[in-house]
Amino acid sequence: MTAFDYIMAGILAVFQGPVAFSFLGLPISVTVVMVLAGFVLGIMVGATPGLAGPMAMAISLPILISIFGFSSDALLPVLGFLIGVMKGATVGGAVPAILFNTPGTPDAYMTTLDGYPMAQAGQARKALKVAHFSSAAGDTFSDIVLIVCAPFLALLVERYLDLPEKTALLILSLAFIAAIIGGSVGKGIIAMGLGLLVAFIGTGEDFYPRLSFGTQTLAQGFSVTAVILGVLILGEVFKAFEDMWHNHRRAQPAKETPQQGDQRLHAADLKRIAPHVARSAVIGTVIGALPGIGSTLAATLGYSVGARTHARRHPDRKPFGQGAPEGIAATEAANSSVSGANLIPVLSLGIPGNAAAVFLILAAESIGGFNPGPAVFRFSTDTVNPELVMAFGIFTAMMLGNLFNWTLGGLFMRAAGVMVRVPKHMLLPVVLLMTLTAIYVQDPRMQAIWFTIGFGVLGYGMRRLGISPLPFVIAFILGGKLEETARQAFAATGADPWFLFNRPVAAILILAAIGFVAVSLRKPSETQQ
Amino acid sequence: MKRVLKAAVAAIGLVAFSGGAMAADWTPPGPIKLMIAFAAGGGADTQARLIAEDIETKLGWKFIPEQVTGKGGMNLAMALKDQPNDGTVIGMVVTETLGYNMLAANAGVTPEDFTAISTTAGFQMGIVSQSSKGWADFNDVIKAAKSGQDIRFGVMSPKLADIAYLLGKAQGVDFNIVSGKGGKAVMNGVMAGDMDLGFMAGIQAKGVAAGDLVNLASALSTPLKQTPDAPLMSDFGVEFNADGYFALIGPKGMPTEVRDAIAAAVIDAITGEGNKSAAMITKAFGEPATISGDALQSLVQADYDAAGRLMKAASE
Amino acid sequence: MQTPDPFPRTNLLLSLGCIVFALVAVFLWIPMDSGSGLILKVRRQVNIGDALAPTIAATVIGLGGVMVFFQRRAPNAGGISLRNLGSVAYLLAICGVSFALMRWTGPVVAWIAGGITGEALDYRLLRDTAPWKYLGFVLGGWVLVSALIGWIEGRITARGLIVGALASLALALLYGVPFDHLLLPPNGDV
Repeated sequence: MTAFDYIMAGILAVFQGPVAFSFLGLPISVTVVMVLAGFVLGIMVGATPGLAGPMAMAISLPILISIFGFSSDALLPVLGFLIGVMKGATVGGAVPAILFNTPGTPDAYMTTLDGYPMAQAGQARKALKVAHFSSAAGDTFSDIVLIVCAPFLALLVERYLDLPEKTALLILSLAFIAAIIGGSVGKGIIAMGLGLLVAFIGTGEDFYPRLSFGTQTLAQGFSVTAVILGVLILGEVFKAFEDMWHNHRRAQPAKETPQQGDQRLHAADLKRIAPHVARSAVIGTVIGALPGIGSTLAATLGYSVGARTHARRHPDRKPFGQGAPEGIAATEAANSSVSGANLIPVLSLGIPGNAAAVFLILAAESIGGFNPGPAVFRFSTDTVNPELVMAFGIFTAMMLGNLFNWTLGGLFMRAAGVMVRVPKHMLLPVVLLMTLTAIYVQDPRMQAIWFTIGFGVLGYGMRRLGISPLPFVIAFILGGKLEETARQAFAATGADPWFLFNRPVAAILILAAIGFVAVSLRKPSETQQ
Repeated sequence: MKRVLKAAVAAIGLVAFSGGAMAADWTPPGPIKLMIAFAAGGGADTQARLIAEDIETKLGWKFIPEQVTGKGGMNLAMALKDQPNDGTVIGMVVTETLGYNMLAANAGVTPEDFTAISTTAGFQMGIVSQSSKGWADFNDVIKAAKSGQDIRFGVMSPKLADIAYLLGKAQGVDFNIVSGKGGKAVMNGVMAGDMDLGFMAGIQAKGVAAGDLVNLASALSTPLKQTPDAPLMSDFGVEFNADGYFALIGPKGMPTEVRDAIAAAVIDAITGEGNKSAAMITKAFGEPATISGDALQSLVQADYDAAGRLMKAASE
Repeated sequence: MQTPDPFPRTNLLLSLGCIVFALVAVFLWIPMDSGSGLILKVRRQVNIGDALAPTIAATVIGLGGVMVFFQRRAPNAGGISLRNLGSVAYLLAICGVSFALMRWTGPVVAWIAGGITGEALDYRLLRDTAPWKYLGFVLGGWVLVSALIGWIEGRITARGLIVGALASLALALLYGVPFDHLLLPPNGDV
């Protein structure tokens, strides 16, 4: 098969898969329906303060797997749904930020700065439209970069990196993530070490399940689901419980201001925000391509760069922070353009960079038949590489998500305003029960539930101590792979203990890893959540 | 000698099978928990789930599949050991679990602590490389190694590592033995050039047919179906082989009628015309293998006993 | 001016804790609880042993601890107060009670029902039969959700009880009815 055949096969896999129903005589495939369903759910979840995209992805994953089973046919509908959620949550986060001054997702905080003043001035609909346009544009741009870059990066890795270099690359990614996430590099390193250690429990090559204290309970290690959902989701839920308990405060959303005047987005408006959208899309894409930095930083950076340029070039217009549509555009384009680019390291290297990517990897791992990594992009000509077809199917699903975003996104955003009225203190206990049920369905042992609660407490403690849980989770996911690759590299080089240092590329990667940590050590201040 | 033993064992298997079919009036008292020692979504897992599905359709039994992976099936064996032996808990492993792995794990269990029920399929285990390497069969690998080339030999279990080592030792060369987690990892390693050659238990079939991969040797006691001309282990002075099957096992002391009823149901599923599991097994593993009951019990016991000799040979 | 940090010694304690943990892991836990050492020689080839990777991981934790030690004066380090511990304990207690209900309601009811009817009812064999398979999950889930809502609201309210009941029923139906092969808690354990 040629590259073109693979692309076509990927597109067809989305549109010609199993049929959900016929619409006007046109068969609509399940994948298409799932992308749309995920997108709508994502907007709703994104618009609900206290819920976020990853949470919805985590809870829906086991339900999806139950529906679609463990076959390669399941991959596109399930991944399509999760991608839809990811995209929907990105735009949905702006809704309560603009309407109620409450960011629906953390990366929409900067959107409140200009969005809420616009709403107070009676321009809420217009603000939503600006947010929608910028978000969809940033997201689409980022996806295009992903589709163009990921295959080449993967081919490069596969052609030039041998086992020692692959080991070094994994070490570099972990060091980078630990150094960059959160305020304190020391705490990032602690989280990473813990994640690795947990990944090593019960595993190993010897038949004795190491670090299991000789118990059968630990012999199987910790399931990926229990660790990830525990630390990422339950940790957050526990912290929120406690905050609500202490504050005893019901979420009382501000009243909606009556809307007036022209709410339409004119060509002149688009022209005003276009430079901000373009700049922020590039900033967000670059940041997204680096694992671990995330959309909140992208939003902050996009906003502050935008604010500076805006003040310099247009001192006559409304400055950022007082209801400037440019401010919304700069934020939303930046945080939305992270999501596509974030899949570059996932698909080409198998290294997840943020929570959403973690759940995509989890989905692929749970279903099987698709292992994100350089092997995916093997353009074999004589035989069909089904993973490559799948990769192009995923790209197609992403573009389909963008299409839904452009066409229907604005409509759903307006409808999602009601979500802010959902009482959080009733929602979160239900989320907890859903998460635990989801865990049990995948790993039917009460132990698994207790492990998840245990990791939830760990995640809670980490949040209280200012340790970001993301390096922990990513190190946990990559730990097994790191050890296996290192073992293979050591064996393949004929037991060369210096395999990481005596090859130029590996040595450069390792030096870069040390360099990142060393440089980060010099920034002493912590920024806390 | 071993081959004769195998043939005898297979013959007894047929007898056990025909006896089992008659004992099929047993029905399970509740749902059957089916533990699967393989990662979800892979060929082995799919096979187990499809067999359960076929039996559910035909006999109305109820299966609850559950993944218990890791340690070459030993995690499953240890979890299964103390479960009720009334036929409501069974597990899908490979015969290597009860053979080499059980001996190597030294976890205080032997094949006698389990009831062997039935095999479902055998492996077409070959030693495989990319055809672009230019090797026609394993002799070329030996030549390359003797000319000073470093050879990376991919394996997916300690037993195969021992066999790879013995191959090198018998031929007077040293391989760099690289182990991967599962057949897919070895396949990817070979395709990516991280490994020069490796063991593959059937997933190579498509690549071999397309000409991307080549079966350099059969790792079985018999020639490979796909490449009957490929040399055998014995041609290279190694008396061990990687013969192996997927097998269903239960806890120790399962009543014979229960064991035979389950075996009969499984064999009926994997050999039945038009069944999903039968089609899948034929596609992925060549053909179903139906060694059951006492014959399978003696086969795994023989594997367990042979494992000691293999380990001893490989440690010299 | 900043308000005084409520947790002045968080980072110090965290760093010391990590260093001590790393030392214990590297010198006691990992060597005693691994199947092979840092390296091992098998088949005339030196290989990486099972203890190496965990030892490196523990060393990384220790190194992180050392780094935090040198940055211990960074502001806003966060911290865990007795009040935090108290609420975690409360949360765990609620979980413990509701999980116990999930685990044992079905078997106990089956045992009692067996005693009354004289039939030998074994929950293990009933775990795939409605309504048995829902008993533990619905009761346990109800208690979990309602108790958590009650905890946050400071009292048990009818609304909380209704939300809890609806949520656990809905989940039981969502997983239990359409999906044949799925097990609700505790049906995989019995």
